[in-house]
Amino acid sequence: MTAISSSPPSARASILGVPAAEAYEPSSVSACAELFARAAERKLRLGIIGGGSALGVGNPPTGLDAVVFTRKLERVVEYAPEDQVIVVEAGLTLGRLQALARQNGQWLGVDAPHAGTATLGGLVAIGGFGPRRARYGAIRDLLLGVTLVRADGAVARGGGKVVKNVAGFDLPKVVAGSLGSLGLIAEVTLRLHPLPELSATFRTPGLEPRGVVQAMLALRRAQLEPSSVVALLADGGRFELGVRLEGFRQGVERDGARLAELAELRGESGPERLAEEAAASFWQRSDGPRTNCSLRVRVNALPTQLPEVQRWIEPLLAALEGGRFLWYATLGIGFIAGDPGAPPQVVAALNSARSAAAAAGGALVVDAAPSVVRAEFDAWGPKPSAFAIMRELKQRFDPEGRLNPGRYVGGL
Amino acid sequence: MARFQNIVGTENCIFEADQLVAYECDALPHLRARPGLVVLPKSREEVVQVVKLAYSAGLPIVPRGSGTGLSGGALPVEGCLLLGLSRMRRIIDIDLDNQRMRVEPGVVNLDISKRLAPHGYYYAPDPSSAQICSIGGNVAENSGGAHCLKYGFTTHHVLGAELVLADGSVVTLGGAVLDAPGYDLRGALVGSEGTLGVVTEVTLRICRFPETTRTLLATFPSTTEAGNAVSLIIASGILPAAIEMMDKMAIDAVRNVMGGAWPEVGAVLLMDVDGTQGEVEHTAERASELCLQAGALELRRPKDAAERDAMWRGRKSAFTAMGRLSPNYIVQDGVIPRSQIARVLSEIARLAEHWGVRVANVFHAGDGNLHPLVLYDASVPEEAERAERCSGEIVRLCVSSGGSITGEHGVGLDKAAYMGEMFSETDLETMNWLRCSFDPETRFNPGKVFPTPRLCGDRPGRYVPHSTEVSGQIGRG
Repeated sequence: MTAISSSPPSARASILGVPAAEAYEPSSVSACAELFARAAERKLRLGIIGGGSALGVGNPPTGLDAVVFTRKLERVVEYAPEDQVIVVEAGLTLGRLQALARQNGQWLGVDAPHAGTATLGGLVAIGGFGPRRARYGAIRDLLLGVTLVRADGAVARGGGKVVKNVAGFDLPKVVAGSLGSLGLIAEVTLRLHPLPELSATFRTPGLEPRGVVQAMLALRRAQLEPSSVVALLADGGRFELGVRLEGFRQGVERDGARLAELAELRGESGPERLAEEAAASFWQRSDGPRTNCSLRVRVNALPTQLPEVQRWIEPLLAALEGGRFLWYATLGIGFIAGDPGAPPQVVAALNSARSAAAAAGGALVVDAAPSVVRAEFDAWGPKPSAFAIMRELKQRFDPEGRLNPGRYVGGL
Repeated sequence: MARFQNIVGTENCIFEADQLVAYECDALPHLRARPGLVVLPKSREEVVQVVKLAYSAGLPIVPRGSGTGLSGGALPVEGCLLLGLSRMRRIIDIDLDNQRMRVEPGVVNLDISKRLAPHGYYYAPDPSSAQICSIGGNVAENSGGAHCLKYGFTTHHVLGAELVLADGSVVTLGGAVLDAPGYDLRGALVGSEGTLGVVTEVTLRICRFPETTRTLLATFPSTTEAGNAVSLIIASGILPAAIEMMDKMAIDAVRNVMGGAWPEVGAVLLMDVDGTQGEVEHTAERASELCLQAGALELRRPKDAAERDAMWRGRKSAFTAMGRLSPNYIVQDGVIPRSQIARVLSEIARLAEHWGVRVANVFHAGDGNLHPLVLYDASVPEEAERAERCSGEIVRLCVSSGGSITGEHGVGLDKAAYMGEMFSETDLETMNWLRCSFDPETRFNPGKVFPTPRLCGDRPGRYVPHSTEVSGQIGRG
């Protein structure tokens, strides 16, 4: 039992305001398994916390008996730089993984915010990604294998340790984004990529929403292959576009020269190639709508729908104090953040934005919200078309509904 | 019977014994079973009605695309309803600006890229059977291809699907917009080998052509130097679109078929680097240097598109070309960590010697996806058995090296017995939960993927080229 340390419940042993009487910090996969087996006997409802940087995702659980912290699961299980594959325990932070990979000229192509605190297990649980998703995909696309401690305490592995593998059902895909509702993600196997030799950021201010779409299309027409394309809504209703080119020096320099000639990227005074420090500060600033403010929601749409998306969220931005909007231009994902001064107006604006997004085949989900908003607004929205299968899946993995109960889509 | 005919029309129902023969197997012809009937629906509505009728009649359903699979995934279950989707071939819509395309499952992989080419776009996953295999089949198998090293597999390019479940209900998984709330059932569907339902529509992500592609063929004294070249290139930070390796026996076989341009050497690497002009000028040159550094004998760069196509055709015809070297052979499909290529190849050579058979190697070196071809002569007493034992040992070698029993051909029936080598009973039980959430009565493709007592000790498959391969229409690997 030494591997499971039970600490007195701290203020942090709660999820979205729902406290748990017990807290555990297992430090090995087998300790997790033992803990889950005992919790099954006692029929404990369990919440799972990684780095705690995405605890705002989803709805408050319907009740918790114990919280399991994964922060002591921080071993690097296996790292073969020559294979560009790494196996780590779930509690390792993204920042530590990147530091280790960097020593070998590699990185994980996931540049999600909060790298210092966000854990790999947590990132898998929320289906994490950053602006470089435009090139590398989200964490689910780089997740080769997963070790899952099931609700009954059994340890199941899915996927493998090689980049290419079609043996059996793709358990890693289903676990990615499941928010701890199917089991505890104990270990993850990830594909790494070589670090680019050079990174260059180009900034174009003053674009209309349509101009952002035109710029995105112009980059593609020119067969440039940026690793990130984001647009940040600035004061005055215009967007500031940031495009990042990464690769070997010679390629980036020549591509940068071609990019500078694109009329669609001219805007008011662009594109300007930012010096290293200015570039770092631009990307940090662009993470703002994903990290700051008490209310943060995400809108998913098609990349060309930015003008529509902006119309859908206009009332929301107006109702928020310090409202901001960030758009991943090649992905069609928008982030809205602000502080709800008048919650009823904010909830009304959220509802209308969600309806508009849903009508266009998209969605609006909550990444963080104060309880006054949560009380009136579901984190996920309407049940998906295949909800009956999702419910069935949850029932098979967690028949007693003890894992993060009620936090996931449709109350799962 | 009549009720199925009422749904799809008499001409789209096959139940006469002599016609059913064509559907008794996929491209793994030593595994055979006679379906009860074959139904070829033309629309989702017809699929729904057929599935409902089969459900009420208690008939198992086996979906089938073009039947080019190499693991027995579309092998019928005795007396089943075989649901052929090859008549659902509509391209529903193309949205170039958003890089999306909706197609019916019977659309042929390569036809998508042909349709997109005039606009400067293509569909990335490129199984060697692309000229004939269907998108529905690709979804079932999570198909790969030579260029998946850089661009990813089918699962990275399928954004959504419409699925008909066992009771005839229709659900949408994923969609054109990313990150639909809820479990990633789209991810569960891709690679599920026809066990979850019938796909009636697929939403694909399509890619813009890279600005430029450079092809390089490098020859080496042996696979050891070629393997070292792969390691050096990957370690240098280059991510080639594809790196393929062929050993001496594979090269000799291809030369027999394709002619004298193929050199007499111990190993060949065929590589594509692509991207922007500026990037590729650097990576192509650097990759060439690294090949020479690793001991390359000669570097060849195709002078035009025709020569490039010929190089790739040679590679993709390697499986079929084996027919010239040996009357019978087994196509193996296993994966190992890339860094272990040299060691595993020498282990394979040792196994071949031990079992008294020849093994040719032609494979996706960049991702460690081996395709050992175990050659034998069925007319020699016990040689087939020795070839099968050798082939089985190769799969186990892949697993014990930290790899996988299949990189792209799927488990199907052929490798179901090997699943236990890679996964524990708990792992398999957990996977089965996934399956059961979609199809609790296991109406779809029963007996596939999972090992069952009935399948224990089943023999790995002999390879017989598909008729389209023999005619040179498609390649393999």
